[in-house]
Amino acid sequence: MLSDARARSIFIQCALVASVIGCASLLVSTTFANLQARGIPIGFDFLTMPSRIVISEALLSYKSRDPYYWAIVVGLVNTIFISALVIAFSSVLGLIVGVTRLSSNPLAAGTCRVWVEIARNSPPIVLLIFLYSLWWKVLPPVGEALNPVPGVFASMRGFVVPALRFELDSTGLGLILLALLLLASAWLAGPARRLRSGLGWSAAGVLLLGLWLADIEASIDWPVFTGSNFRGGLELTPELSTILFGLTLYTTGFIAEIVRGGVLSVGSGQWDAGRSLGLSRAKILRLIVVPQMLRVIVPPMNSQYINVVKNSTLAIAVGYPDFLAVMNTIISKSSHSIEGVFIILGVYLALNLSLSSAANWYNRRIAIVER
Amino acid sequence: MKSISLPLPSETAPPQAWLASLLASFLRGARLLFGSPLNAALTLVFGTLLILVVPPMLRWLVIDAVLLDPDPNACRLASGACWSFIHAKSGQLLFGIYPFDERWRPALVCLMIVALLAWSVRPASWTPRLVPLWIAALALIVWLMGGGLGLSEVPTSSWGGLPVTLILTVVAIGIAFPLGILLALARRSTMPAVRIGAVVTIESVRGLPLLSILFVASIMLPLFLPEALLPDKFVRALVALTIFAAAYLAEVIRGGLQAIPKGQYEAAAALGLPFWRTQYLVILPQAIRVVIPALANTIIVMIKNTSLVLVVGLFDLISSGKAALADPAWPSPAAETFLFIGAIFFALSFSFARFADFLERRGPTAH
Repeated sequence: MLSDARARSIFIQCALVASVIGCASLLVSTTFANLQARGIPIGFDFLTMPSRIVISEALLSYKSRDPYYWAIVVGLVNTIFISALVIAFSSVLGLIVGVTRLSSNPLAAGTCRVWVEIARNSPPIVLLIFLYSLWWKVLPPVGEALNPVPGVFASMRGFVVPALRFELDSTGLGLILLALLLLASAWLAGPARRLRSGLGWSAAGVLLLGLWLADIEASIDWPVFTGSNFRGGLELTPELSTILFGLTLYTTGFIAEIVRGGVLSVGSGQWDAGRSLGLSRAKILRLIVVPQMLRVIVPPMNSQYINVVKNSTLAIAVGYPDFLAVMNTIISKSSHSIEGVFIILGVYLALNLSLSSAANWYNRRIAIVER
Repeated sequence: MKSISLPLPSETAPPQAWLASLLASFLRGARLLFGSPLNAALTLVFGTLLILVVPPMLRWLVIDAVLLDPDPNACRLASGACWSFIHAKSGQLLFGIYPFDERWRPALVCLMIVALLAWSVRPASWTPRLVPLWIAALALIVWLMGGGLGLSEVPTSSWGGLPVTLILTVVAIGIAFPLGILLALARRSTMPAVRIGAVVTIESVRGLPLLSILFVASIMLPLFLPEALLPDKFVRALVALTIFAAAYLAEVIRGGLQAIPKGQYEAAAALGLPFWRTQYLVILPQAIRVVIPALANTIIVMIKNTSLVLVVGLFDLISSGKAALADPAWPSPAAETFLFIGAIFFALSFSFARFADFLERRGPTAH
């Protein structure tokens, strides 16, 4: 029977599926036996019970009376917050550093090269611990807080920066959402030019209407130094600042290399060809160079962004409560380890899959359309 | 290049020739730094940055630093870095709590591992001979570290420092490599059950942060396995790192497999070779050769990743650094210690990266 390729293939697959099921059931039965021996209950009911764990800092308001599920949400929002800021900062910085590395100026190119090499060749966790240990060495106590730029204070207790505060009623919020929706559909409309400009203009109209009709109060909340403390502003603790700073430093090195590769991948012949068609520099850049560069850059950028989400788990090294740190505390506190592990796996897979499917969608839009 | 009229070098006018060439290189440098408005602006920005950062850094690193003075109080008085701490504690930093008299063993292991890695990524050594060499080397490493057979026994709980980092790297890669080949072949299989199994395994491991895999391994393995079979912390971390490395290596190797033209498979089929012999004799040797630079990069990533095992309580370089810092006799120079540890990682991975560059420039070798 095994000489027939078809029969052999079916046999191998059945054997594989059977062994997977066998191993899984063996694992599950030992796990249940182990859990029963230790008297640990199973189920997600614990999520609604008060957690009594401590989360040292969070964007959302959190008290230890709050239930477990809220602690998980608070940790998740912290993770998303770190990842989003690091992705934004390092994309901008990486673009600058990557292009500067190609400059003919040896001072600028050399400095950027040193940055890239240090970032790419040191483990991010060592970088974070090192930066965290520098914190108390470099910055003064609160009483003598540095004030390099008006409104920004730096001291042992962290950074204080001006905060942007919005006061928005529901009409304004609704109209802004409508304008965003119109803009998104204008973008999606693709090559249909008239439809696109129509949608774009109506988005602008809606936005203006919103500004006129609704009560939008945007104000900047400047921090004030009272001699021993700060009033107002946004406080960034040493832990949060270390993670943001360290991960941005690290990711910038990788993004800079991706950008540099992208720029180098577009040959100088493309510029010559554009000039011979009589296009201006800006048009060559927009119509010829950037589209070709994007095609090279987007897939590796996507994996860098996913890496940022993964690296945000290193927050644990400096004691910032990100999602994984919160889950770890919850597991050791509630002993619901199986459920906790499933939540961890589910959340990271969902985060990364949604990031990469967004990038894949964008990648398909910019890919060469071949016949 | 601008031509500058130089007097012919003769015995009568050597000073001028020397001066003129100096002037020429000075002009060249000035043109690079200030030749265009953009370059001048860049020079100004980066020059200010360097002037602000470099002198205080140098003062801290070298000028005000305590270099070798074995007295801890010298560090308390100095305003610069405390390198004498690193010097005094180097044994503890590098080898952790490994028994003092036996430290030659981890030191030898470190040298062996670095040599083994450098030897293995050389294209010329990609022969079937490499497999028994690795098995023998891993066995030797385990014997040297763990003891037995004439050496005093050292349990894994007292292994520490650099050897732990390096052993985790090579053992994880060594086991993950064949696993990765199997996963890559499975992902390209025509059998749907095999393919789906491989895709699910690879993508879910690659979708997770390594830290979460390490946590899961240290939380779940005690529940999965009966008490008697439970491995120690070291093996648990090793299992997690191996699974992680296997998924990434599988994708690298799949890239190589995709680069092999169909004609190679057809030629092997024409010779009547069965599946495994086709892979072993025809496809894999070519596929792996294509991806050697990518493999070197994966090794770098693994060297950097092993630093995460500290979070599950393993005694790697960072934890031994933290332990050394706890000595109350010294003023706890944390920044210096982590700079030292970072420098070790940097040296390992930077030299490997240069090596990978070299391989890439050479291109795939003919055989």
